[in-house]
Amino acid sequence: MSEFFTETIVISILAAMVRIGAPLILAAIGELIAERAGVINLGVEGMMLMGCFLGFFVTFETGSILAGIGAAMVGAMLMSLIMAFMAITLRLEQFVTGLALNLLASGLTLFWFRSLLKTIGSTQPNIDLLEKAPIPFLSDIPYLGIIVFSHNWLVYLAILSVPICSFFLYKTKYGLELRCLGENPRAIDMKGLSVAKRQYLAVLFGGMMAGLAGAFISVGSSIRFVPEMTAGRGWLAIVIVIAGNWQPKWILVAALVFAFLEAFQMHVQAVGINFPYQILLALPYVVAVIALMHRRARSRAPASLGVAYSRSS
Amino acid sequence: MNWAKIRLERRDEVTWAWRLFCFLVAILGTLLVTGILISTAGKEPIEAFKELFIGAFVGIDSIVETLVRATPLILTGLAAVVAFRAKIWSIGQEGQLVLGAIAAYWASIVFEGLPRIIVLSGVICLGFVGGALLGVFCGWLKARYRVDEIISTVMFNYAIFYLLTYLLSGPWQPPGDFYVQSAPVIEKALLPNLLQDTRLHGGLFIAIVVAIIVYILIKRTALGYEIRAFGSNPIASSFKGIKPTRMLVVVMLISGGIAGLAGTSELLGVHGRLNTDIAAGAGYTGIIVALIGGLTPLGTVIAAVLFGAMVNGGFMMQVITGVPKSMVFAMQAITLLFFLCSTLMSQYRIKRVTEDV
Repeated sequence: MSEFFTETIVISILAAMVRIGAPLILAAIGELIAERAGVINLGVEGMMLMGCFLGFFVTFETGSILAGIGAAMVGAMLMSLIMAFMAITLRLEQFVTGLALNLLASGLTLFWFRSLLKTIGSTQPNIDLLEKAPIPFLSDIPYLGIIVFSHNWLVYLAILSVPICSFFLYKTKYGLELRCLGENPRAIDMKGLSVAKRQYLAVLFGGMMAGLAGAFISVGSSIRFVPEMTAGRGWLAIVIVIAGNWQPKWILVAALVFAFLEAFQMHVQAVGINFPYQILLALPYVVAVIALMHRRARSRAPASLGVAYSRSS
Repeated sequence: MNWAKIRLERRDEVTWAWRLFCFLVAILGTLLVTGILISTAGKEPIEAFKELFIGAFVGIDSIVETLVRATPLILTGLAAVVAFRAKIWSIGQEGQLVLGAIAAYWASIVFEGLPRIIVLSGVICLGFVGGALLGVFCGWLKARYRVDEIISTVMFNYAIFYLLTYLLSGPWQPPGDFYVQSAPVIEKALLPNLLQDTRLHGGLFIAIVVAIIVYILIKRTALGYEIRAFGSNPIASSFKGIKPTRMLVVVMLISGGIAGLAGTSELLGVHGRLNTDIAAGAGYTGIIVALIGGLTPLGTVIAAVLFGAMVNGGFMMQVITGVPKSMVFAMQAITLLFFLCSTLMSQYRIKRVTEDV
């Protein structure tokens, strides 16, 4: 057991936690913005998967990772546009629309994967990984340098998105308006501000972040695309928003907890300890349910979350 | 920018002709968008649709296969109908299906030495119980701890799948076997064939019986009335003595159990052994089927047969035209999106708002 928990191993597990946590943070921050605006976007999983595929596919075709990431963001945003149109303009049940988008992404990515990416002989198409970019000086800090400051730039972006989101929500006029949207959209409407416009933008932002998170999962951490590659991480992002009580800092904590579980699982599997790793793979999902059981009585859930705003009702 | 300058206004009366028109528009829209998608893969859409249709409906073998594909969808669709009628948004049919299959497989091992009739009924009962347990657990979590049922059911879909892969790569994997699958189910536990020399199995019979039961349950029983009342207004119905906790548990028991039967039927009628393809998305597709079927048992059966036809026709399409059959799954989701819009369109008229907002 002592060998199992040496210093190097603990550091490498924690570094893996930060890396694995990045897409969760990105997607959860995007979902937070959409939910704060009153729209519950259950299509995150699908948007991530779309981003994941497009990120890989465009990188593979063009050789440019940046183009891949851009395509992932645009693709996921297009999906969130459908979500916004159906939820905000048509006021359809948000749950059903989100679900339909998940299934759409699941079918579409598999279809494109099979039809557009031909396997050459026995080799699967693969791409170069997004390079690591250790931050000068900071990466030399003992422990913390390896854990936090020696990743690719998407990881830094994910971490930075938390304080930026916090600042936006609590310190800017638009952030205040956004928070108000989720609590009392009528107040926004009464002030002569457009409810729909703000909600559209929030949902589109959520889609963009989900696309970015998806791109991270393919180009940021793997050289291949595998069908259903996101494996429920979009759903975990939704759980993280709830478990984080709709507050950026707690969302960061919740995301890291889930990421730790996965990092730990990967380590156990790599070391080859005689323990059924599938049980550890299932652990985040069980923990997610438990996390929701211990919800505080004082929930910060936006009051009109999931309710489409209509002036006449 | 014209943000939301359209308003929806409820139509006073909805004629059948208008409703049919909206439905046709949805089908055309689906075909159009799917056709464009097929073109993105560099294939001929008309040709693909033609083969899809031939593969699904032309010839007795195709029709039988369509029904085989429709069987699990009927059951998972009915599971969704029961839950959604009570406005309980369970999307756990996939996990319940798998747990039902796991329980049924376990039963087939335990009951091995008993006479066939007991084995068969025992296996089917346990299949129901497996799915029902998971459903009840999620219902209880919602009632007791206010855990959102959408999230908990999805989380268990993933967790149960890992449980399945654990069982199939460990305890239930035949020694020396490299495939992630169990040993074949004993002969006695397999569902009888309905039509000789075809794959049509007793699962379809179970599905039809369940559809009739669900119809009677919703339309003709006190419980069905409670489910509908709870679905339309849980607060008002609680004044009538309908307890939310009881509703959550009972509805999720029935819904989960039906989804469990879908797994049982796939295990004992199609696969004959437990493998990771046992669900193959039938849980999620069942939700689309239920929604398109208007959350009625009859509509669900019809929609399930159509969706089964799509899946079945997809094989022919793939073989003849080279369009991957996974296109069908995208097509099903697109159908749902268009269907949602067309339902709305049939009930409302779109009005341009002219006044300055």
